Amino acid sequence: MYIIIAGGGIIGSHIASLLVQEGYEVTVLEQSETALKKLQGQLDIKTIRGNAATPKTLKEAEIERADLVLAVTNSDETNMITCFMAKEMGVATTAARIRNIEYSGYFVAPAKSPTSPRKIVRPKSLGIDVFINPEVEAAREIMEILAGFYSTPVDNFANGLVQIREFKIESEPLAGTRLGALTLPKQSMIVTAVHQGEITAPDKDFILNEGDSLHIAVSAENMDELGKIFIQSKRPAKRVVILGGSSVGVLTASGLQKRGIKVKIIEQDPVRCQELASQLEKVDILQGDGTDRAFLLEQGVSSADAFVATSENEEINILSALLAKTLGVQRVMVVVNKPGYIPLAEAIGIDIAAVPTILAANKIIRFVLRGGVISASLIEGQQLEAIEFVTSAQALIANKNIAEAGFPREATVVAIVHNETIFIPPEDKIIKPGDHVVIVTPPESVQTIEKLFK
Amino acid sequence: MRINAVLHYLGLIITIIGVTMILPLLWSFFHKEAEAVSAFTISMAVSIAVGLILWRFIKIKEKNISRREAITLVAVGWICISLCGALPYTLCGALPNFLDAFFESVSGFTTTGATVFTDIDGQYQGLLIWRSLTQWLGGMGIIMLFVALLPLLGIGAARLAEAEWTGGQQEERLTSRMRDTAKILWLIYLSMTALEFILLKIAGLSNFDSIVVTLSTIPSGGFAAYNLSIAAYNSLLVEGIVLFFMVATGVNFGLYYFLLWRRQPGKLFKNPEFRFYLLLLFGAALLINLDLIINMGMSISEAVRYGSFQTAAIMTTTGFCTADFNTWPPLSKAILLFLMVTGASAGSTSGALKVVRILVLAKYAYRQIKNAFNPSAVIPLKLGGNIVPEGIVNKTVGISIIYFSVAVTGFLIMSGLGLDTVTALSATVSAMGNVGPGLGLVGPLENYAAIPALGKGVLIFCMIAGRLEFFTILMLFLPAFWKWK
Repeated sequence: MYIIIAGGGIIGSHIASLLVQEGYEVTVLEQSETALKKLQGQLDIKTIRGNAATPKTLKEAEIERADLVLAVTNSDETNMITCFMAKEMGVATTAARIRNIEYSGYFVAPAKSPTSPRKIVRPKSLGIDVFINPEVEAAREIMEILAGFYSTPVDNFANGLVQIREFKIESEPLAGTRLGALTLPKQSMIVTAVHQGEITAPDKDFILNEGDSLHIAVSAENMDELGKIFIQSKRPAKRVVILGGSSVGVLTASGLQKRGIKVKIIEQDPVRCQELASQLEKVDILQGDGTDRAFLLEQGVSSADAFVATSENEEINILSALLAKTLGVQRVMVVVNKPGYIPLAEAIGIDIAAVPTILAANKIIRFVLRGGVISASLIEGQQLEAIEFVTSAQALIANKNIAEAGFPREATVVAIVHNETIFIPPEDKIIKPGDHVVIVTPPESVQTIEKLFK
Repeated sequence: MRINAVLHYLGLIITIIGVTMILPLLWSFFHKEAEAVSAFTISMAVSIAVGLILWRFIKIKEKNISRREAITLVAVGWICISLCGALPYTLCGALPNFLDAFFESVSGFTTTGATVFTDIDGQYQGLLIWRSLTQWLGGMGIIMLFVALLPLLGIGAARLAEAEWTGGQQEERLTSRMRDTAKILWLIYLSMTALEFILLKIAGLSNFDSIVVTLSTIPSGGFAAYNLSIAAYNSLLVEGIVLFFMVATGVNFGLYYFLLWRRQPGKLFKNPEFRFYLLLLFGAALLINLDLIINMGMSISEAVRYGSFQTAAIMTTTGFCTADFNTWPPLSKAILLFLMVTGASAGSTSGALKVVRILVLAKYAYRQIKNAFNPSAVIPLKLGGNIVPEGIVNKTVGISIIYFSVAVTGFLIMSGLGLDTVTALSATVSAMGNVGPGLGLVGPLENYAAIPALGKGVLIFCMIAGRLEFFTILMLFLPAFWKWK
């Protein structure tokens, strides 16, 4: 499969590195010489310099034999035109990153009568099959976390029957215990253990340290039971401070506010504050420096339930989140774009609310590469991938038990769902046609496994 | 920099070289060359043993390698494979002096084809096959083979290939993954080798002659099976076949990929370097032919036959001979000396500066002159309608400066050793361009045996530096490269 990625920024290079790992043929188009140099120094891929929204560059990238075009430059207009041209030139699937929320408003704009929404611009007529809006995804994820008891988002499989969630080891008594000594609820299985950003196979003698985390697969009904082992339960947030009037911040604020949660936004730029104030009427807009301790105290940050740092400056996000934590805020979260900062934030005990780049990559593998029928998501950056397969009758592994199915050694079968009956861990169950199978594997082996299910 | 990572992969490369010795070993075995058999057996055992020890016992955690490690690996790798390759020459007694053997080995792997053998006709066939095989391995690049064969993950492969591939630019990558590119290049290389071998067999050469000539032509090497080189066959057909393949291997191999795989002949025929290469080749051949007819009184058919073959042989840096151009008129010799500097296309198996660089340099000079009377003029440097990025222009100017600095230094040292001007200059330029024969005492019918030991050392450096296009080797001499490990 040949994939062309337009845009070699953070999102583009992240997706490219994932796709290369999975063994796809990838070419990246990028206009800026500096970004190209950086990309060439990091990845073993073909790069072409030029504006992706021109036929010349697309032809140079041999668009005629491309199976998929991902337009992820930071310009929505470029992305739309790139997809439009790619479709005209015969590409089967396209996906575009559209950041501007107003565009999504225009796409389904209210017509004269409010009851009949009329589409002004149809995405299909622009040749775009899948939209990626990392900011919207990020905001959605933040809201989901704030509404629940957990500090990490959940990944759903088999129509939500099976869930995988990351649990942090926050303090005693869990820190210091052996993994074998944990009593997990029924229908659950530890997928992987993470120590200082490195994944390790969860064997019984693994000693949990503070700051480590476990990715656990569990049936949805047992999730809360599992949660009680790991988390001092956090009540859903009622008062939230958001740092930064970025699009993620605005989306989160308006979403929370609609759910009746009291929201304050701290933004440094006075002009931006004016815009925000006219846009979000019921939200308190505070103009000031998020890294100023006195200012945060004065604005009552210490009595907030949650502090979410969403500004476009990631360094400031991490600093102010740390500050809020010392002020006694129970839930402190940051939005990080550079995947390299994730271990840094985790090391100082700040939860990562969302990494838009990874969310974008998630969406792409879920909806574009795997056809959208099944779920797929990334674990710990992109070290592992959890994928759901539906066993077809002609599949190589149909009616075989797991041991003899011939899965690669590095892959783990986490769950099998047979007619809504969940098996976690599946032990040596026989895989029947129609079963949903959840597998965790390094990205390198995904293509091998896909063949087994064909 | 992790020394153990370099040593680990170095072990693998040495092992590969050891394994390739099986070919001359078998040949010697079936032709009952007892001494050569034992020499190859020992060399093979030593190389494989050393290689395996390095590879198995020096473990590395992180498989990927950094740019610095890649450069060191390529430079040290080339020196080490040359050392291994020198063993058979010494062990079988053909070249008792190890420096001579090392010279012959370096000359082989760098596809120079300069020999220290005073009498080639009397050597073991197995040894002559090994000599040609070293060229064949070095022509496409031993590191390229390594990248193609081993699933070295990710960017490490690209870094390695970049440090070895000549005239390489990121933009010229054929496929997304460097490993696939390496595989394609080796496939093209193998097919050309097979094709030439078959044609030479049809032309009536023996198995031995066909193998030696083929393995020397395709990598543009130049080691022949006889003292008289290609002239020994005295066959117009053989000369024609060799001529065709010399010219064909002077073309960027990537263009063949576009022609054969992608069916885009335009990429080949509209390529500015390809066009300039042919123009220069035909222009030089025409001038030499005329010079030979007018100033030396050769008949037209002879002039075309010898003049054209020699022009192509020197320009593609192969270095085969059908005539003693030492006796040719001054203009012909001067043109040949110039062609030793230009070489053929980037991305081909030929050495020297490459014509695309000459093209860029010429346009650069033109721009400088234009800017001299109008400093505010902004003139982009274009090749075939595409703007050459300033970074590449800078690199081209830089490599040319280094090329000429090394040439001047080598020339001075060689002169200091008492060699006459023509010999000193042509030997240095010929070694740097991986051509083989020079003029004067190192002319087409002569050899390098008479060059003093220090001179051989200088030429060995020139050959390796020229093959790896200077930066890779010269970086090792910078103190800053070694600091801050």
